Amino acid sequence: MADEQEDPVELIEMYYRRGWTDGLPVIPPSQKTVNAALAAVDLRADDVVGEIPARNLKLTADKIAINAVLAGCLPEYMPVVLAAVKGICHPDFGYHGPATSTGGAAIAVIVNGPIVRRLGINAADNAFGPGFRPNATIGRALRLLMMNTLDTRPGRLDRSTLGNPAKYSLCFGEDEEKSPWEPLHVEKGFKPHESTATVFATEGPHQIYNHLSNDPQTLCITMADSMANLGSMNITGQQNIVVVFAGEHQEVFRRSGWSKAQVKQCLFDHAQRSIAEIKRAGRMPGFVSQKDESELWPVVRTPDDILVVSAGARAGAFSACLPGWGGYKMTRAITTAVDER
Amino acid sequence: MEIFDPTVAPVKEKILYTPRPQNLNGLRVGLIENSKHNSDVLLLKIADRLKAKYGIEMVLLHRKESASDYVTDEAIDELKQKADFVIAGIGD
Repeated sequence: MADEQEDPVELIEMYYRRGWTDGLPVIPPSQKTVNAALAAVDLRADDVVGEIPARNLKLTADKIAINAVLAGCLPEYMPVVLAAVKGICHPDFGYHGPATSTGGAAIAVIVNGPIVRRLGINAADNAFGPGFRPNATIGRALRLLMMNTLDTRPGRLDRSTLGNPAKYSLCFGEDEEKSPWEPLHVEKGFKPHESTATVFATEGPHQIYNHLSNDPQTLCITMADSMANLGSMNITGQQNIVVVFAGEHQEVFRRSGWSKAQVKQCLFDHAQRSIAEIKRAGRMPGFVSQKDESELWPVVRTPDDILVVSAGARAGAFSACLPGWGGYKMTRAITTAVDER
Repeated sequence: MEIFDPTVAPVKEKILYTPRPQNLNGLRVGLIENSKHNSDVLLLKIADRLKAKYGIEMVLLHRKESASDYVTDEAIDELKQKADFVIAGIGD
């Protein structure tokens, strides 16, 4: 398409008028920037990267590149963008559910491996917040791609009741250097020197605060309370939950010598509600029986459904959980290798 | 400067609809429920009314694995064999 526009501001307005933005201004692509994005992943424009059968759509490299450039990605971010796209196209991610649901899921992109440092993906202070180009633009590229190629637009196929701000972008790295545990991607079977992107449909971060505790169990109890909130989809869906411990809380676990498995088990043991509570809140049908008062229902099926990740600043007694969208049969967190050519 | 189109058009397919039965009397109905609360309840009530009014027999209630799953090819084949028409429903 060759509409000659010489004023870059007017060009940005053209993209707005065509409905191709997320509400924020985009970076108008040029042949040079699109070619650079494609070259960074050694793909031709018509190479198929993934497809979403429910939409009868194939995602070609050129469209991914265009949306990445629109988002503000540098060419070197493309391998991570590509891995995230492959993740959402994986059958077990079940794209259709989280993308269209009234549940309003954001797609978190958690990055592991050497590429975190190489690209400057923030994994430390303000890990979920603004200020870092790769974090802001990789997540944004994914959302723009979803909107522009998969019609995942508000009022069309994105029927979110409320949505959440993380839908603009939620991309962060794991702080593997400072973490007391093995990183997420190694748990998932990748080598430490490999880089990965994990995509996960989430309500968004729920921050927890505990400044007093220097005991691992009480920290887990605090976190578990947030994980088991009665309004969470996890209560009935038993979906993956991501738990992010920041620096001060990591140190509590490090000093105590708790392994990741111990943390997961403790979270699992405490992130439970009685059937009675769940029924009284109208989250499960039926009358409350005597048995319901003592029968506990965990918010995940197994401790391994809890993905524990280290990120955030060294200072500040804050951590967060990211509850999942939907149910465990509908979508899963998917970890995909980043192809660093 | 060029405009770069970031959108993709879906591959269009022609879908032929099976003609609706002209007469419902004595037909067999299959039900597809999406696994959300009361989806089955609603569909079974509809089946009861169809039975009362038209003598329609409910031959199969297929429950999807989850609301956002496809109906499997096996389930579709079974429905095609056993039912004359299908009602799919949602619930929440």
